[in-house]
Amino acid sequence: MPLDTSTYDLALLRVDGRRWNELRRLDGQIRTQAAADGSSYLEMGNTKVMCVVSGPSEDKRRGQTSASTATGSNAADVAVSVVVAGFSSVDRKKRGRGDKRIQELQTTISKALASNLHTHLYPRSTISISLNVLSQDGSLLAALINASTLALIDAGIPMTDYLVACTAGSTSSYAANDDRADPLVDLNNQEEQELPFLTMATLGATDKVAVLVCESRVQVSRLEGMMAAAADACKGVRDFLDQVIREKGHKMVTEGTIEKGASMAIEIDA
Amino acid sequence: MASTQQQHLLLSPAELAYLHITLSQQPPIRADGRTATQFRPLTAETGILPGTNGSARVCFADGTEAVVGIKAEVERTRKQGIDYAKQRRPRNKQKQQQKKIAEEEVEVGDGESEDGDEEGAVHEPTGDSDWVKMTVEIPGLRDDDSGTVFLATMLSEALLADGEFAKKLWINRRFHWKLYLDIILISSPLSYPLPLLSLTTHLALLATRLPRLKSEADEDPMFDDDWAASQFIYPRQGDDNTSPSTSGTRPPITLLVMAVGDNIIFDPSKEELAVADSALAVSVGETTGDADGAVDVDEEGKASRNLRLLSVRTIDPPSRLTAPGIPNAVNAAAWGQGAVVAKDPGARAAETDEVEGVWKAPRGGAKIAVLGAMVAKVLEKGGVADEVLEGLYGVELG
Repeated sequence: MPLDTSTYDLALLRVDGRRWNELRRLDGQIRTQAAADGSSYLEMGNTKVMCVVSGPSEDKRRGQTSASTATGSNAADVAVSVVVAGFSSVDRKKRGRGDKRIQELQTTISKALASNLHTHLYPRSTISISLNVLSQDGSLLAALINASTLALIDAGIPMTDYLVACTAGSTSSYAANDDRADPLVDLNNQEEQELPFLTMATLGATDKVAVLVCESRVQVSRLEGMMAAAADACKGVRDFLDQVIREKGHKMVTEGTIEKGASMAIEIDA
Repeated sequence: MASTQQQHLLLSPAELAYLHITLSQQPPIRADGRTATQFRPLTAETGILPGTNGSARVCFADGTEAVVGIKAEVERTRKQGIDYAKQRRPRNKQKQQQKKIAEEEVEVGDGESEDGDEEGAVHEPTGDSDWVKMTVEIPGLRDDDSGTVFLATMLSEALLADGEFAKKLWINRRFHWKLYLDIILISSPLSYPLPLLSLTTHLALLATRLPRLKSEADEDPMFDDDWAASQFIYPRQGDDNTSPSTSGTRPPITLLVMAVGDNIIFDPSKEELAVADSALAVSVGETTGDADGAVDVDEEGKASRNLRLLSVRTIDPPSRLTAPGIPNAVNAAAWGQGAVVAKDPGARAAETDEVEGVWKAPRGGAKIAVLGAMVAKVLEKGGVADEVLEGLYGVELG
């Protein structure tokens, strides 16, 4: 069903009533699951993702069904497996694990996380991340990256900074060749279907780009604007993730799970 | 037989022997202090995904978690025309043959008039097991792994066993609902996930709603847009618009029961399962009111639930693959006389005989009496299945 986005110019409001730089409602939880080393649940609008981290644990077989950053070096291996539930989309669609799109998602996430985590602290071990997509409405890759960041923080695996991701699009399609096209952030499924968009992940609030995925045709002149908008949106996402973690930490201290003033000494330089 | 050794548990023969002895005492002493029929606490919620017809999430106390989403699609009933002819012809032929044997003169008109009658009459809903599709996702296992396929088969078998469920999906003679049940285990499979998946599916089915049909008879189906007017597949008692054929029934549950000696233990943890003599997956359905199959005599006179046994499967407990302990009598390391004992014919007997306090993997099948007792214990009035169904009934539908 093609979407008519031509109404954007009239009031500068998008199909769901947001302005160009507004994120959808974000909702996040960490430590959702007792048995796992780290776990999280993240909603970006109607996209709902669950993440479970186990590890770092002793190397078992190198994952065949999941993408991993198996290298010859002594660093920990980050194995990511994404399961897209059959009921997640509007029409029920079952995707096997060998699906090429899913494999690409896995590889992208795994490479991005491996570069951000201090994997050298855990030689000959595996950090396995299992992601479950319960509902999808656009910005899937971004939601998966954000959820895994939350779960990895819960698991206590040291990392340089939050790895946060967001999508950005452009208000007019490639063919329209419109000069006045505005960038949009955090696209929903309807917008993703029609407009050119990219997914960008940055390291925290900095402008350091860790992931940049663009699968649609877009004029190169618009790319910079889209990336700038995405970087700004990533800052917003980072603030949100930070808030989720601080709230949980505060709760754990007040409930007495952790002693006040307790700190963990980890030798980061190796 | 399903195998449960998804996660090998590292317990020494001494630990296994200890567990086995405590569990076979009267009454059994369980490591977590529960009674034999007590369940671990669980948290459950339904209606977590607005994009599905029904959904549920259940977390067990051991940290395992499952999510079930159910989606329904309208599908054209394709085969019926052919099926009709296929079913009809041989029956008529048989009938004719029988009649030929009985009498010389054959009335062929009989069969035709029957046809006419059926077409004019109101049609009873029919069902087909193909209308339900169940998939199970377990992290770390492939989709076509035998364990996954077995779990899916076992769960759908229980659901379709009485043939009543598929009838609920009947719209008219040309169309039916196709129901997709996707079961996802979120956590890693710490213990045998069957009970968890079954209870989650049960709740999701209870929460499943289908839009209200607006069209009549065999027209192309038209549905009410108003989700508030949608109807539960399993209507609760006291609800309006329940048809008499479907009221009071509940989706099945599958319970894991294990036996150690003569003790029957419910909801085993993985350590307990590691010393089980035998394990059973028992599927139980529920019918209240005047079910035709129910032979139970309701002495109390109140409308209590009638439990119906739907299916029983033996589960291969992981205890069969554990390494045995060695009795001191034949242990060379303990007495330094292994060589002498090995020549002794008595030593062979010591290896195969039961020695008190020395672990030996259970061999052979379960005793018939124990199997019977396990099933009886599940079906008992006010027993475990009753209690579980009662507990699940208390979960409010979101």
